[in-house]
Amino acid sequence: MKRICRSGIRTLRYHKMLKDIRVSCAPHISQPLSTRSVMIDVIIGLVPAMAAAGYYFRIHAAILIATCVITCVATEGLCNLIRKKPNSLDDFSAVVTGIVLALSLPPKLPVWTAVVGGVFSIAIGKMVFGGLGANIFNPAMIGRAFLTASFGVMMTSWTVPATMDPAMPAIAQENALNARTQATPLAWSKLAIKNKLGADIYSEQQFKAAVTGEVGGCLGETSVIAILIGGLYLLVRRTIDLHIPAAVLAAAFVFGGIAYLIDSYVYVQPFFHLSTGGLLLCAFFIATDPVTAPLTRRGMWLFGIGVGTVTMLIRIVGEYPEGVMYSVLLMNAVTPLIDRLFKRIPAGGKPSV
Amino acid sequence: MLSQHLGAVCKPLVKKADTVQAGQKIGDRDAFVSAPVHSPISGKVKEIALRSHAVLGRSPAIVIEALPDNPTKRSGLDLGGDFDESRYSAEQICQAVREAGIVGMGGAGFPTRVKIEPDPQVPKETLIINGCECEPYITCDYRIMLEWTDQIVAGVKLAGKASGCSQVFIAIEDNKPKAIEAISAALSKSGNGDNIRVVPMKTKYPQGGERQLIRAILKRNVPTGGIPPMIGAVVLNVATVAAIAEAVVSGSPLTHRVVTVTGEAVARPGNYYVPIGTSVEDLIEFCGGVTELSAKIVLGGPMMGIAIADLGTPITKTTNAVTVLTKEQIGRAKFAGRQTACIRCGRCLQVCPENLIPTKIAHAVKHNLLDVAERNYINACIQCGCCSYVCPANIELTGYIKTGKLFLARQKKKMAESSV
Repeated sequence: MKRICRSGIRTLRYHKMLKDIRVSCAPHISQPLSTRSVMIDVIIGLVPAMAAAGYYFRIHAAILIATCVITCVATEGLCNLIRKKPNSLDDFSAVVTGIVLALSLPPKLPVWTAVVGGVFSIAIGKMVFGGLGANIFNPAMIGRAFLTASFGVMMTSWTVPATMDPAMPAIAQENALNARTQATPLAWSKLAIKNKLGADIYSEQQFKAAVTGEVGGCLGETSVIAILIGGLYLLVRRTIDLHIPAAVLAAAFVFGGIAYLIDSYVYVQPFFHLSTGGLLLCAFFIATDPVTAPLTRRGMWLFGIGVGTVTMLIRIVGEYPEGVMYSVLLMNAVTPLIDRLFKRIPAGGKPSV
Repeated sequence: MLSQHLGAVCKPLVKKADTVQAGQKIGDRDAFVSAPVHSPISGKVKEIALRSHAVLGRSPAIVIEALPDNPTKRSGLDLGGDFDESRYSAEQICQAVREAGIVGMGGAGFPTRVKIEPDPQVPKETLIINGCECEPYITCDYRIMLEWTDQIVAGVKLAGKASGCSQVFIAIEDNKPKAIEAISAALSKSGNGDNIRVVPMKTKYPQGGERQLIRAILKRNVPTGGIPPMIGAVVLNVATVAAIAEAVVSGSPLTHRVVTVTGEAVARPGNYYVPIGTSVEDLIEFCGGVTELSAKIVLGGPMMGIAIADLGTPITKTTNAVTVLTKEQIGRAKFAGRQTACIRCGRCLQVCPENLIPTKIAHAVKHNLLDVAERNYINACIQCGCCSYVCPANIELTGYIKTGKLFLARQKKKMAESSV
């Protein structure tokens, strides 16, 4: 069977003019599209978010992104060497993992921690499963989860953006690391929920900041505008489908809205939830990772709704201020089940026999 | 070639060293699903042997050496003024179609007589004439719609009469306004065309598949694993219809057909009226040869055609095109046959006209899990090639599925044999 299926097959010297005639199965033409071009599109889509990160966190952004990308690429190369597999670096998927990982880390994370995260992402998150296409979980999220579990304090120390007005005393404070850090909007919202503080004042003040990105948080998640530009690019290029982002954001909005309607004093407005934390980055760049998302459209909706719902559950009811990472990993785990749930029926109906 | 159709292979009616006349029947079979074969030329039977066949690999063929003074067959049919289909009875038409060896000329090659003959159990209601080109690159149907317009209209009426269909649609893609105009004009000129309607179709691939046409026109689905007559529909290609007219009116068998010779590596691409049985080499030679850039010679179009390794492969009744592709047309990665891992992007699901999950089926076949492939409806695949076309990982999805279908059929056959 393999002999027939593999294209590339026989060459034949039959005619003087026809020195290199190939035989393979139809079709004989294809769209000029490759895994690499898909990945490059994702990288281009991430550029605005990276630029925003560079603007707000200056050198930290550059260091973190470079570290993660280099580590991821090197790890994948090394894994291929050890497993004696052909080089798979030319599909650029390791670069995408590196960038996504970097964008989901706190800006001032030490370099060695980022290296650990990168190695774990690729080695455990992807290569042990057999490389690109075979991984069950989003590699970048696996790396981030590992770092969160291992280095909790580092992973929750948020640096103030370099452009930020220092006269914003209410939320800025000095901490033991001697760096200017601040609580992220979500941490604040969590505090509000726990201590029954008025959340409304804070959320109004922060909404504008979240749109531009002038706020504490992970490297790439702060700027709503940058992520939306990148996400729009991917949608226009049809690299991603609208289904997953729409489902994630709609579900989060609905659940945020329900909480807000129940108690608008304690809970922040639903728009605030959409604009803060990693939800947007997740909706456009993390949950849409095709390898770990369902195949069918209905499956994608369910997957997206699951991600949005679990995120909001963690944010509103759970212990952590942010739940994007765990919700993505959880939904990744049930993706095979979703695929099994939504079977596609042939256009002509099920065969009668 | 003694097998140019779906169904039983013909038995040769001539012996080695016999002299045959142009149009003489040289192969036939009693089986219901079969069609006779005729010699397109006068000549001497050189041998009866196995020859390369585009679909079957190798198949028995009658090799005829042409006599030096072979008259060229004139293309098209002179209807001689007004055409009146009431002169022919349905049985007469069916008989003529059978004797002329007419098969579906769009590609599948199902014997036409079997298609149009009324079935007492399921009455045929709708006749769809397929004027949608099967594939990109191919233009032979378009050409004959322009040049043989009257003949096609006559054939449509004959086919409608033979099958007893009350409504007839002529489906033409909307990028061929000239053909739509010409056919409409011919219809109104010939009168009594009230139940025959020309329907412009959206130009897309695959539109010329019969399941797709029926879905687009009748808004009904042919059951999976079923054939159009199950819902009372018959789909005939325009080339087939033209052949029907010729067979019924002049009694001449199907010995020639129009073939599109195309692709960037051909010196003089175009549509040629070719005797069936001509080798690809002769045809390409006639078209001015090919350039050094040619990388693949395909019988049929680029999406479903079959790449051949032997230029001695003959044109058959079902060969609608010879496409000679260059490396650039194929694409570098595709040419090298480089495949990467599936990233589950879902593009193949979106393009599949039959609403299948190509990647799942293909990977099941790859790992020899034919039962999984069958559970994912592998046999509903029409092998249009769209999934392979869009796959960013360059996986030969259609190739795997095709192989899987073949293996499955073989397995079934073996099981049936062992249980008897």
